[in-house]
Amino acid sequence: MSRLKLSGVSKRYGDFLAVDNIDLELQSGEFVSLLGPSGCGKTTTLRMIAGFIDPTLGTIEMDGQILSSPSGSVPPDRRQMSMIFQSYAIWPNMTVEQNVAFGLELRKIARAEVRRRVGEMLEVVHMSHLADRYPAELSGGQQQRVALARAIVIRPSVLLLDEPLSNLDATLREEMRFEIRRLHDEFHVTTVYVTHDQAEAMVTSDRIAVMNGGRIEQVDAPRALYDKPKTRFVAGFIGRTNFIEGTSDGRQIAFDGFALPHAGFERDVPAGGKAVFSVRPHSMRLSEAPPTANNGCAAVGVVIMERAFLGEHWDYVVKPRESAMTLRVTTSPMDDFPVGASAWLEFEPRQMALIA
Amino acid sequence: MTDNSLEIRALHFSGVASRLRRLDASLLLWLALIAVLAFLILNPVLRLIISSLQQTDTGHFTLANYRSAYGNIRHLQSLLNSLELGVGVALLATCFGVPIAWAISRTDMPCKAFIRLMVFAAFVTPPYLGAIGWILLAGPNSGWLNKVWMALTGAGHGIFNIYSMTGLILVIAVTSFPYTFVFTSSALDLVSSEMEDAANILGARTLRTTLRITLPLVTPAIIGGIIISFLEAIALFGAPALIALPARFNVVSTQLWQFFEYPVRVEEAAAYAMPLLAITVLMFWIQRRILGRRGYTSVTGKGGERRMIALGAWRWAMLAYALLVCALSVFLPMLVLIQAAFAKAWGRGFSLDNLTLHNFYYLLFEQTQAKQTIVNTFVYSGVTAFAAISLTLAIAYVVNRKLVPFSNVLAFLCMAPFVVPGIVLAIGFYAAYAPPPLALYGTATILILGFTTRFLPIAYTSSAAGLRSINPEMEEAVRILGGSRLLAIRKVLIPLLKKSLAGAWILVFIPATRELSSAIFLVGPNTRVISVMLFDLSEEGNFEVLAALGVILLVATVAIAAIGSKVIGRDFMLRRNS
Amino acid sequence: MFPIQRRNFIIGGSALLMLGSSRKARAQPAPSMTPHETELFEAAKKEGGELTWYTAQSDDITAQALGRSFEQLYPGIKVNVLRTTAQVAYQRVTQEIKASAIQCDVLSSTDLGHYVALKAIGALEKYVPDNSSKVLDIYKNYDPDGFYFVNSAGMIGIGYNTAKVKEADAPKNWTDLLDPKWKDNIALGHPGFSGYVGTWALTLRNQYGWDFFEKLAKNNPRVGRSINDTVTMLNAGESAIAGSGPVGTVLESMQKGNPLAMVYPTDGTVLIIASSGIMKGCKHPNAARLYMEFLLSPGASQIWVDHFNETIRPEVSVPKGAKSAKDLKVIRPTVEQITKGVPEVIKQWRETFGV
Repeated sequence: MSRLKLSGVSKRYGDFLAVDNIDLELQSGEFVSLLGPSGCGKTTTLRMIAGFIDPTLGTIEMDGQILSSPSGSVPPDRRQMSMIFQSYAIWPNMTVEQNVAFGLELRKIARAEVRRRVGEMLEVVHMSHLADRYPAELSGGQQQRVALARAIVIRPSVLLLDEPLSNLDATLREEMRFEIRRLHDEFHVTTVYVTHDQAEAMVTSDRIAVMNGGRIEQVDAPRALYDKPKTRFVAGFIGRTNFIEGTSDGRQIAFDGFALPHAGFERDVPAGGKAVFSVRPHSMRLSEAPPTANNGCAAVGVVIMERAFLGEHWDYVVKPRESAMTLRVTTSPMDDFPVGASAWLEFEPRQMALIA
Repeated sequence: MTDNSLEIRALHFSGVASRLRRLDASLLLWLALIAVLAFLILNPVLRLIISSLQQTDTGHFTLANYRSAYGNIRHLQSLLNSLELGVGVALLATCFGVPIAWAISRTDMPCKAFIRLMVFAAFVTPPYLGAIGWILLAGPNSGWLNKVWMALTGAGHGIFNIYSMTGLILVIAVTSFPYTFVFTSSALDLVSSEMEDAANILGARTLRTTLRITLPLVTPAIIGGIIISFLEAIALFGAPALIALPARFNVVSTQLWQFFEYPVRVEEAAAYAMPLLAITVLMFWIQRRILGRRGYTSVTGKGGERRMIALGAWRWAMLAYALLVCALSVFLPMLVLIQAAFAKAWGRGFSLDNLTLHNFYYLLFEQTQAKQTIVNTFVYSGVTAFAAISLTLAIAYVVNRKLVPFSNVLAFLCMAPFVVPGIVLAIGFYAAYAPPPLALYGTATILILGFTTRFLPIAYTSSAAGLRSINPEMEEAVRILGGSRLLAIRKVLIPLLKKSLAGAWILVFIPATRELSSAIFLVGPNTRVISVMLFDLSEEGNFEVLAALGVILLVATVAIAAIGSKVIGRDFMLRRNS
Repeated sequence: MFPIQRRNFIIGGSALLMLGSSRKARAQPAPSMTPHETELFEAAKKEGGELTWYTAQSDDITAQALGRSFEQLYPGIKVNVLRTTAQVAYQRVTQEIKASAIQCDVLSSTDLGHYVALKAIGALEKYVPDNSSKVLDIYKNYDPDGFYFVNSAGMIGIGYNTAKVKEADAPKNWTDLLDPKWKDNIALGHPGFSGYVGTWALTLRNQYGWDFFEKLAKNNPRVGRSINDTVTMLNAGESAIAGSGPVGTVLESMQKGNPLAMVYPTDGTVLIIASSGIMKGCKHPNAARLYMEFLLSPGASQIWVDHFNETIRPEVSVPKGAKSAKDLKVIRPTVEQITKGVPEVIKQWRETFGV
């Protein structure tokens, strides 16, 4: 039985459909992200899971029990869940220890036991030495840890996080990403994580549900999402990519200015008709000399249009000589081609994803 | 050689001169503002303290005043009575104001606009007018409530006795609770719902969340409200004179009045008033201790959305409570006051043959002072509001932009009158400025100055808050394009502040119209204001005319405030745009 | 009914005049002004045409009536009528003296002791009105030096609410007030505010000793401020008995339709003599002198009588059926007793009654 199950969940506000027919299942201990741009309905979905909002259609179940339905819901205080808010919502008039102890005290646990568990939890998040501080005396990252400690110490069935890292600076964000994953691994909490930052989602999640316009476009492990995006949106949202459209005639696919034989492609390519591919910038190679034709790749002659050096790699914009389209290519810092130069661009059909 | 050294000296001098010139301007400004504040605040308070240590006719140093002021057991009893009154009012006003503030700010209780209006009506009602209303309602034998009770149960006498400490506490609390309401609700408006959601999801339901999270988050506001209610209660003169005297107890303010009987014993009065000052200072110290290191505002500033809590059936219970408070503070007293205003003899009740317009007629056309008194009241209050706002705006600007060194001293002085109860301030003013050389006794000037000083703290808080919301870069943009600072202030700052200033004006104007405690010592025969006239009328028991005058006061004040609100475009009672 | 019509006429008539919003020019000047009065009138107009009058001798309505009558007789002079209790008026006057900023022109207090004190410090101006020789003999010559003159008199008896108390049960004498059956039902004024109450308390102290008040306190009376407060309490039904009941106010209230009755105690009704004087250094001395003449004139006495008070002029008589001082047994203290006694009584009162 799945831990958390959303079936056909929708939410309508007047004429506006914020969430459209969501189906999602989480197994116990899974870490799933809801990833998408602002306005895609991810926070609304999260709040429905928490019980702050009721769905217009569909049900939310946990361990087989229905928690939310259009006719009625279990209130948030009885769902045994926990939530981390964008603003952390640490109560400024209580110390760190008091904040973390709150949920335990509500469950009428003996005081000595409360102290022990709070102490343990603070150890885990490396905040023991700050137990008596007030939130105003803590840094952003420390407050974040308090929020995590407070949420996890009560051993919730599901942990919900609503863009918790958006208030932190870049370095801290990276650090906290790992921290969140580490805590998840240590306590095996089923987690739903809402974010608009794909790097965050990739680092922390077992699976990612990419949302757009109220719908889930694809739910998959991060690698699969990246390598095999099913829709244009997903391909463009996760990492950067080039979209190239071609026509198949059974033996080869003709693109604008060049053609690639069927043989190299891993997937089943249609025998006829249009085909759109997502080609990642780093899945192509630039070389001065034309490549040998026996490694399954296809090559096209290109002209360098623009370039930018980013330290860890070169960013090139190239144009196939007989084509009107441009392609972004990423190469190692060693491959230095000046603007206007000619080069050869090698495709690796196995890395090209068919999306339509 | 002479030329050279002259040149060098000239250069040196001009460098110093220009530095002196710059120093001059800000120093002059600081001196000017300090002089005004010293005149308004320091001098009267110092005169008061000095008076308390002086012998009446000779001016020699003596502690005799303190001895006679405190050697008398009755005087001490009055002091204790005042403390009891203050604490009682503070607690009751909190019980009234905080739940209603919570209901309006954070829940889906119905009829919010109406309740807010009623709170405003309570704010506009002077405590002594409310006292008269309650005397008509709950006089032990003749009050309407008692009469109804006696008719319903056949009892021989009523159950409510307004002439008691409890009665006095009730009467003052129902006109003070708007302070606790406004403080608490404006603070509650800032609490993000995520704070409550966080508690919710951890397992706490609405009531527990409210008591353990929401209300503790606005502790500073609640404590602020408690302190203000306390201070107001111990400084009031009118309501205690009307209720405490027949109840046969004195409070400090009525006791101070006795020191002004013949022979006038200003020195003893000053000595007696000192504990009020001390108590006030103590209150603020206690407040600081309680609040301590804890923070109260959300530290990230993001996610500040506020959603209303759905109360279900409980919203009707909250509404019932709110209406009960409104009944006690507005409906019931207003009803009897209006009845008395239109009655020939209020004791005869609600009969058609008891209706008359004569009371209003008498006031507006026959009583020779009433018209002048009414005009005086609104003119003085208006001028006070302008003076207070102008002065505090200037000071707030200087403090906020740090134009002079030690600008915090100015801010402190502006807030200092808060610490001095109105009646004590008036005595100080009287001691300092009524006699020659200034001889301001009986002039409109001393009254306006006294009022301005009394309301400086409110004016300053509003002005400073308004200024803080304006980004100084607005003026800097003007100055970098070549405009002077004054131009920037005139063309940019003032227009931006218009709404906030208008709101502050009303916040000073309304309390000024109902002020009695300080007016009673400072009015002269030609400068009487409505509050004093109401008090004088109450002495001869002419409740009908008194009620009519009270109705005129309320109607005019509400009209002015309503016009003001329309001009400002939002609720001036510190409500955010919600 | 006659006095009522007269009073309403005066009020109504002057109201009509008021509606024109102009106090000048409409009314006719005094039908026959003596040359002295004319002289004062002209001088008063030149002074600024204003007069400030502090009075405690009546309620606001009577005081206003007097002020307006003067304005009609002497058009061009505005009268600022400030009605308060005697001690409050005195307090304001002494404040003014201390501040060297005299605002009051004529003071009409109900406590004779005030005048003795003010005269002693030289705060009164000497002026002997022409009319002072024409008043009833009992009101003449209280100050041979000519600083203050008696201009009004009133009586204090016992009032009661007829709806609550039957005539047979009502108290007949001051000592009846001590009967425990009146517990919680007696209304009194306060000598610390009211000159009338001060003199009344002093008179009863002379009569029965301060013990009387100790016993009276046991009946838990409702202590107000002004002597008129007691009538308010009666009207409201709050108290059944007005222990210090001002005759004028009670009678006026009865005429309005309130269920009251007046008792003139068998040991004697307290007679209050109230005088007026001009403040030295006041702003409008000539208007003040003219006002003193007016206060001692038949016209003023007529207004007093219309409001159920005593007359001090032989030409004016009280309406038929009403009792006047000369018809009753009256008791009152001497001037010396008042001067020393009233402050004493105020102190004793505070000790006994707690406020």
